[in-house]
Amino acid sequence: MRVWSVPARVVLSVAALGLAAGTALFLAALFLHVAPENAVSRRYRAEVDAVVYPEFEQNWKLFAPNPLQQNVMVDARVQTIAGDGRITTRDWTGLTAQDFAAVRHNPAPSHVDQNLLRRAWDFYDATHPQQDGAVAGPRAKLAEEYLKRIALQRIGRTAGGERILQIQFRVGARTVAPPPWSPEQVSTDPDYRELPWWPVNEDDYRGLA
Amino acid sequence: MSDPVPVLDRDAAEPPPAGPPAPAERRPGRWEVLLTPLAAHQAAVVRIGVALAWGGFLLREWPHRRVLYGDLSPWSSDLSRQLLADTHAFTVLGRSSDRWWFELVYHLAILASAALLLGWRTRASSVLFAVTAVSLQNRNILVGDGGDNVVHLMAIYLALTRCGLVWSLDARRRARRSPAGPAAGEQPGEVRAVLDALASMLHNCAMLVIAVQVVLIYSTAGWYKIQGSRWQDGTAVYYPLHLGYFSPWPALSGLLGAGLLTTVALSYGTVVAQVAFPFTLANRRLKNVLLALMMAEHAAIAVTLGLPFFSLAMIAADAVFLPTGALRRLERWAVGLLGLLGLAGPAGPAGPAGLVERPAEGSRPESG
Repeated sequence: MRVWSVPARVVLSVAALGLAAGTALFLAALFLHVAPENAVSRRYRAEVDAVVYPEFEQNWKLFAPNPLQQNVMVDARVQTIAGDGRITTRDWTGLTAQDFAAVRHNPAPSHVDQNLLRRAWDFYDATHPQQDGAVAGPRAKLAEEYLKRIALQRIGRTAGGERILQIQFRVGARTVAPPPWSPEQVSTDPDYRELPWWPVNEDDYRGLA
Repeated sequence: MSDPVPVLDRDAAEPPPAGPPAPAERRPGRWEVLLTPLAAHQAAVVRIGVALAWGGFLLREWPHRRVLYGDLSPWSSDLSRQLLADTHAFTVLGRSSDRWWFELVYHLAILASAALLLGWRTRASSVLFAVTAVSLQNRNILVGDGGDNVVHLMAIYLALTRCGLVWSLDARRRARRSPAGPAAGEQPGEVRAVLDALASMLHNCAMLVIAVQVVLIYSTAGWYKIQGSRWQDGTAVYYPLHLGYFSPWPALSGLLGAGLLTTVALSYGTVVAQVAFPFTLANRRLKNVLLALMMAEHAAIAVTLGLPFFSLAMIAADAVFLPTGALRRLERWAVGLLGLLGLAGPAGPAGPAGLVERPAEGSRPESG
């Protein structure tokens, strides 16, 4: 090892202290972010958030506390208008079912099939609280537009040769049947929830080509 | 905390170099080891793994790139801009929604992955890798999963490390420049040496962060599982195998989830391993056994749940805890294999073509 001059020693010592302190604070923030909410993380929430968001976000509750036990099926249908003004409601399209088919027998499923709609629905669900009196946050509109555009990209501009007027979603949670040896009895019938009809206009197609 | 050695593998520090020491050398002080880059092999293997995971992902998604992150995305640049104005996440794809700019960034990201994989101009390519990876992911943060999250974090951490000291084209170039090895060269000037030490200290901190990050991943995953009724009753592993999004091979999934004993053993084993992992770091042998188990589990997840890139990213991150001895053995096998295939260049003192050259000057910590 070399012999350091005094200025070099000063520079290195200051840098070492700074780096050690910075690393310690960063790791402490990460820890408080992933730990269950506690007195310390409540007290320093603003500081922790400032470190963690937006680039060091962590979500490691993979399959925890419980793994997802339902297949959340998102379907969509459209209403079209004919040249003579007649309005037709089309059949439901199983968007999630299309994803499942694309994942099947695919050793490396695309994010388009595995994550796009799945996480868009999670986003919609998270931004649309269902309790009485709950108000949808500012991101709710983004989630609606995103979901609508995902469906329209798959369905196209027309259905049955007619222009699309509006679109409706329904979501059904189909509980996974318990393992064969389990004594549990659960209903695996989907429990559908319908969303309101949303108007479709030219803007919704921007960039979907 | 300022001493990362115990957290990383205990033999992570390089052994003293062979050959006579330079005349100006003296025994390093106890703390001076921190002025040199520790865990050079671990940094290299994480670099290679993360570059493989993200580069492979980008190639796999090439046909879908415009739908995921580009001009054809349902998450339009308008929607993206509105969210980014709120989150302030970094992306170079925020302002312009031009197609050529997106295509440039996507293809630069592929090139950066290749350069990082090979360790070509590693300092620059690791920064380009981080900027492009973070930019693409933040353009549409809503298509990512745990694997993308790991790549996002590791890309940023790696840019702060000296991950090209070994197993890289950079190392080969350095070895060719001074074929006798760093020990024979005269000492660099002091300014240069100080900068070198600063970069090494930053590297050591970043390696500590990577190690703690992996511990946090497993601790969080494990401790939250303990609270779950399905992990308690031992059926948890059964359920993901029966989700349409994560069962590319239904017959295999059915087989795995069919046995009572195997399902309970896998469920309990997963929780025990994840919760225990941080504590096994105090015992090398136990740590290595658990590390091998968890890498094997991720390899199994890659196939059964259809998550190859997630699994590869996790295995790459796990690799920070691989023992240096094992990595050196791997190195010898790889060199031997290259030699057999006739791919290696003229063998120098550092092995064929210097591919496995020691870290350059100022990077030879002695385990004091």
